[in-house]
Amino acid sequence: MDCNSLGDCADDRIVRIYEYLDGALTLDDLKEVKSHLEGCPECTEQYDLECIIRSVVRRSCQEHAPQTLKASIIARISQIRVESGH
Amino acid sequence: MPSVTIRQDTSSAGGTACALAEAPRPAFARAGARIKPVERVDSAVMNNESVDENLPDAASESEQQRRERFERDAMQYVDQLYSAALRMARNPSDAEDLVQEAYTKAYSAFHQYKPGTNLKAWLYRILTNTYINLYRKRQREPLRTSTDTVEDWQMAQAMEHSPTGLRSAEAEALDHLPDSDVKAALQSIGEDFRMAVYFVDVEGFSYKEASEILGVPIGTVMSRLHRGRKNLRELLADYAADRGIATGTQSKSAAKAERGAK
Repeated sequence: MDCNSLGDCADDRIVRIYEYLDGALTLDDLKEVKSHLEGCPECTEQYDLECIIRSVVRRSCQEHAPQTLKASIIARISQIRVESGH
Repeated sequence: MPSVTIRQDTSSAGGTACALAEAPRPAFARAGARIKPVERVDSAVMNNESVDENLPDAASESEQQRRERFERDAMQYVDQLYSAALRMARNPSDAEDLVQEAYTKAYSAFHQYKPGTNLKAWLYRILTNTYINLYRKRQREPLRTSTDTVEDWQMAQAMEHSPTGLRSAEAEALDHLPDSDVKAALQSIGEDFRMAVYFVDVEGFSYKEASEILGVPIGTVMSRLHRGRKNLRELLADYAADRGIATGTQSKSAAKAERGAK
């Protein structure tokens, strides 16, 4: 069965694909989704797309904290130690 | 070795911390192919997972030792917390303040952290709470992207494409989107949805961990994720269309560039 006829079915399938990628399915459900993906180009396309989206989003959110921030955190922490040592 | 010197702030950690410790869980594998039943691991692999005796006893360590442990174990996540803070605070300066405040709180409460449990999740929980307490209330300025603008895009999107949003040519374009577009799209979705997507899709936390970090039930995490991902998809599709295959979308692009520059 493929999912060309979209509609509500497609939304459910998308959720399954999300859960599949999230590692949130039971083993049985996982197998079911996996075998569905093998036979359904529509869902496979959605699956690929979701993978791309996640990797693109991850790639885009890799900022480095300024060195000054790290230094000021260390400075704050050492103050805390001094204060609680009194 | 176990000469316990009771200090003023160590009582709640107690001596049971080690007994309760569990090995840090790996982030869930994202690629479907990597998800498989747990297999037996040989002892060489097991050595990687710290055993109980190696875990520090939070109750008996000195202030100095605790500080060293904090710097060694917690400071490695500054970049990641800063990235998360940028998703919350909307400008780098506030994000820095937020991370600094969160780290200060985390250090003050470090004796309550159970060695061997998920430190990163613990830090994110503190970051989230700090954000809610410090910034969310005062951050009531109207968002640059008004709801109706987003709806306009979604409407156009729905008319142009299949309900699922993207075709493979667009997927190709999406893969080449500049980071600035992706960040702008992420920033455009509602905050609750954005953070759910961030913690699960970017940081790789499980639903349960995300629910603990965000302080909401797992079902809420899942529905926020679903809606957040859907919104994100639609917005990214729009950016991709502009970048990749669209024609005559000058004004839309201009509007977004302006928003992205914010």
